[in-house]
Amino acid sequence: MLPERRRSRQVGRISQAVLALGVSAVLLVILGAGLGPVPALGRALDPGHGAWTSAAGGRLPASRTLRLPGLAHPVQVRFTAAGAASVSAATDSDLFLALGYVHARFRLAQLDLQRRLGEGRLAQLTGPSAVASDRFELQLGLLRTARQEWAGMPRSSPAARALTAYARGVNDYLATARASGQWPALFSLAGVYPADWTPVDSLVVQGDLDQQLSFTTVPLDYALLERSLGARRTMAWFPVTAPGAQSPYDPGPYRTLGTAPLPADPAAATAAVPAAAPGRGQAGGRGAASAGPARQAAVARAAAAILTQVSALPAGQVHAYPDSNAWAASGSRVAGSGAMLAGDPHVPQTLPSLWYQVALSAPGLSVSGVSVPGMPAVLIGHNADIAWSVTDTQSQSVLYYDEQTSPSRPGQYFWRGQWRRMQQVHYVIPVRGGPSRRLTVDLTVHGPVLTRAGQTVAADWTGALGSPDLAVLLRVGQARDFRQFRAALAGWRSPAENFVYADRHGNIGAISAGLFPQVRHGRPWLPMPGTGADDIAGVIPYAAVPHVYNPPGQVVVTANQRPVASSYPYYIGTSANDFDAGFRAATEYAYLRRHSSLRPASFAVLQGSLTDGLARQVVPRLLAALRHAPLTPLQDQARQVLAGWNYSMVTDSAGASIWWWFWSDYLSAVFGPWWKSAQVPVHLDRAGLAVGPGQASLNEVLAHWTRHDRHNPAFSPPGGPARDAAGAMRAAFAAAVAHLKASPGGAPDTWTWGKLHTRRLASLTKASALGYGPRPDGGDPWTPDAADGGLASSAGPSWRMIVHWTGSGAAAAEGIYPGGQSENPASPWYGNLIADWWAGRYLPMPPARLAPAGSRAQPGARGGPGGSGRDGGGTSRTAGTGGAGNSGPGGVSWELVP
Amino acid sequence: MTADLRRLGRRGSYRLGRLRAQGIADPGPPSPFRPSFTRPRHHGPTPAWLAAGLAGTLVIAAGAAAGLWFVPFIAGLVAGLANRIGGWRARIMILAVTIMAIAGWAIPLGWLALDGEPAGATARVIAALLGLPAFATTGVIVTFAVAVAQALAGLWLGRALTPFPDRG
Repeated sequence: MLPERRRSRQVGRISQAVLALGVSAVLLVILGAGLGPVPALGRALDPGHGAWTSAAGGRLPASRTLRLPGLAHPVQVRFTAAGAASVSAATDSDLFLALGYVHARFRLAQLDLQRRLGEGRLAQLTGPSAVASDRFELQLGLLRTARQEWAGMPRSSPAARALTAYARGVNDYLATARASGQWPALFSLAGVYPADWTPVDSLVVQGDLDQQLSFTTVPLDYALLERSLGARRTMAWFPVTAPGAQSPYDPGPYRTLGTAPLPADPAAATAAVPAAAPGRGQAGGRGAASAGPARQAAVARAAAAILTQVSALPAGQVHAYPDSNAWAASGSRVAGSGAMLAGDPHVPQTLPSLWYQVALSAPGLSVSGVSVPGMPAVLIGHNADIAWSVTDTQSQSVLYYDEQTSPSRPGQYFWRGQWRRMQQVHYVIPVRGGPSRRLTVDLTVHGPVLTRAGQTVAADWTGALGSPDLAVLLRVGQARDFRQFRAALAGWRSPAENFVYADRHGNIGAISAGLFPQVRHGRPWLPMPGTGADDIAGVIPYAAVPHVYNPPGQVVVTANQRPVASSYPYYIGTSANDFDAGFRAATEYAYLRRHSSLRPASFAVLQGSLTDGLARQVVPRLLAALRHAPLTPLQDQARQVLAGWNYSMVTDSAGASIWWWFWSDYLSAVFGPWWKSAQVPVHLDRAGLAVGPGQASLNEVLAHWTRHDRHNPAFSPPGGPARDAAGAMRAAFAAAVAHLKASPGGAPDTWTWGKLHTRRLASLTKASALGYGPRPDGGDPWTPDAADGGLASSAGPSWRMIVHWTGSGAAAAEGIYPGGQSENPASPWYGNLIADWWAGRYLPMPPARLAPAGSRAQPGARGGPGGSGRDGGGTSRTAGTGGAGNSGPGGVSWELVP
Repeated sequence: MTADLRRLGRRGSYRLGRLRAQGIADPGPPSPFRPSFTRPRHHGPTPAWLAAGLAGTLVIAAGAAAGLWFVPFIAGLVAGLANRIGGWRARIMILAVTIMAIAGWAIPLGWLALDGEPAGATARVIAALLGLPAFATTGVIVTFAVAVAQALAGLWLGRALTPFPDRG
């Protein structure tokens, strides 16, 4: 071979070797360490130790004995065939340790996601897309609050002992997962694994729930509305108290008892450090002192900045959708003259569910109901004497303050006559597949500064004060009568909730527990000056919060409606705070008052009711407006369909579709021109600013005008011809028919609601294939069985429970939630409850105390409310006992031993 | 028999190729001259090489069980280096290490399924979490693809590091 050819061949061979080496190295690095958002697929897909090992978690549990360090005595855990767990222990500590272990076994990814969400560590698991969420959560301060709560909690208190034991149980499971390498696939694919659980993590999860139920941006929306629409129109269309009937559960009379002191905010106490001698007249820069249009513009700019941040949060982190129900009846209303309670809290519906069903039994505590993974407690359920459920009060829990600052005094703000130094907290946000981010949070006496754009705005949220919710729930679980129940709830701070009650002696009641901030002056529904005069002056004394006990009508209903009448002497929020307009409450009160000798089946019918209370009020007016109107043949057919409609939002109802589109178009026809004319910045917060059925205030105001104020000037568009309610309704009806003609098309009697409206249970992992649906479903925001989120609903009844106390003192308790006990999509318990939930069936709740081997769950427990069904329209739910294999003890038990 | 030229081109007539005298054998086309300077192919008995492949498969499976996800690469590398002795053609080696990698990772997956664990459902979950079409086959294919990619990279590197010419 010629030397040149030989050299050329050698060069080629060396080049190939270098290339092969380089490609191999790159491949191995990518497979072993990942690249940016690409996970380390080599590790992740290793059949022996990667995501495939999550298959083990997909198996149903088998009876076995497990050794858990930290237990003092053996603990028994039994599972029903559907997966509901019953934990029985000799001590509270053992009980909560076992609960931690069970939660971790079935909901480990959910536990970790929830704490990461609240602690601003989501990006470490999911990558750069979560940085905005982490940034906001660290600003808001769930982690700061949780740490302060834990630091201030006596270690010997029942709550601290429960948290410690629970954390140990979670960590016992983490230890087994580390030893076996069997992690949920989410972790294996990301290559990020959960750290040990701490009591602070549980308190952060509690904070997550608090945020989801009480943190809102309503004052920021008000600021933008006032700037665009003007103050007069804003308050006319988003009034403090809406004009319609509210169906309050506490109609009065009310007592004025002044205010109780606001619990101290540990963070704020350290934040307010005087920075200088009194500085009267030194405030020369931006700030609350400046007034008028300039300040309004600055506040609006700040509001826009915060709303942009909030829009990056996962769905549900800002409170929305006021659609929960809880009611109780007693006396002659209930068969057997006992008491009966129903509860169905409505939250974003996810897989896995927010809830984990469990019965807990130890000396002194015996409760059955639903827990939230991360919290060692039953939130909604019953014990041997009482049952309770909750709905959100919808009261205002966040006040925004625009702090007075000065360019000459960086890092300071003016409060109560002095310049104060802002406290600064520094964070590092680790990001998977990217560089870590640094964040500095400024704290004022009001709370964290959320923006400096236009104005320095801080949020004063009751959730930041910390709330001994766990201690309260433990006491509620031990309460034996209303006196003890009410005393236990005195300590509840946030989120403000309506607790509905029924007991074995036939008593019923309700209390709106929580903090209701009061200001001496100012308009708390708007960002207020932060100089001190408009600070929270106190809260409503517990003796004066809304409550009833054994009301004369033997019925109490909370459906997120304003709990009190307009004569209530305290401020609790505006109509824009999403107080439900009372349409659902009115439907529920009417049903319960119309019936006597109610049974669980009757309550199940009402929980599954698809009767639209708003349509019942408005559709007769619409038909009257159309009576002599010139209609096209298609419009006339649609009118006839509507005339024969029974207000039921069932899937096969064409009237339901016509109604939905009519109401949407009616809102747009009336308010749309005003919004357009005023250039309302809808893009900043569609949920809070866009005209649509999601706006509780506009729904309520327009329904009222339609019935009682048909010539309200708002019906005439700005610069347009004069118009009344009938004219606007006719225009909206024509638009609705045009919408439906375009889609789904065809004859009006084929425009069924199921063609337009779906419900979907989204996966917490955001992997769409791991969710359920979308599937045609009935309901809308104004039906007791509510569907929220528009035509593609994603929120609704997350847990349905009925507890019937019979005259003998025994209880029949049943419940269902859409989902399953396991978070593992490969598990038969991932979505096994969905079919029963969708069909309106219930399962017996597991017993609080373990029955002897071979016996049924609980005396009086029933398989389902016979005869339950969605009312009207013909799509009745299947009645009866829960689905095949879903009821009764499953015979699987774990013996947990020290 | 003689050809009848008048029948040429008519249905059923003779073809031109048949216009030769019958009884003379067709010599066929001449074989092209193919000079070769390579060694004789695949040294050693084939069963031994098959046994080596099986051993490689088991090593890959054992590596997966031990959490050594990179064993398919090492197996491919060894195969590439060993081919200095074996002298197998590249296409045979590619096929062999591909089968070895897939089989090596299929063994623990099959074990999962035989053990009663929901392997198919888990494959679907993996595909969904990776943002791929949520089918069990997708999850299985992407898993095997990771093993095969490693094994082929190893093979390539092993062959490239082989110090004497090896054309295939």
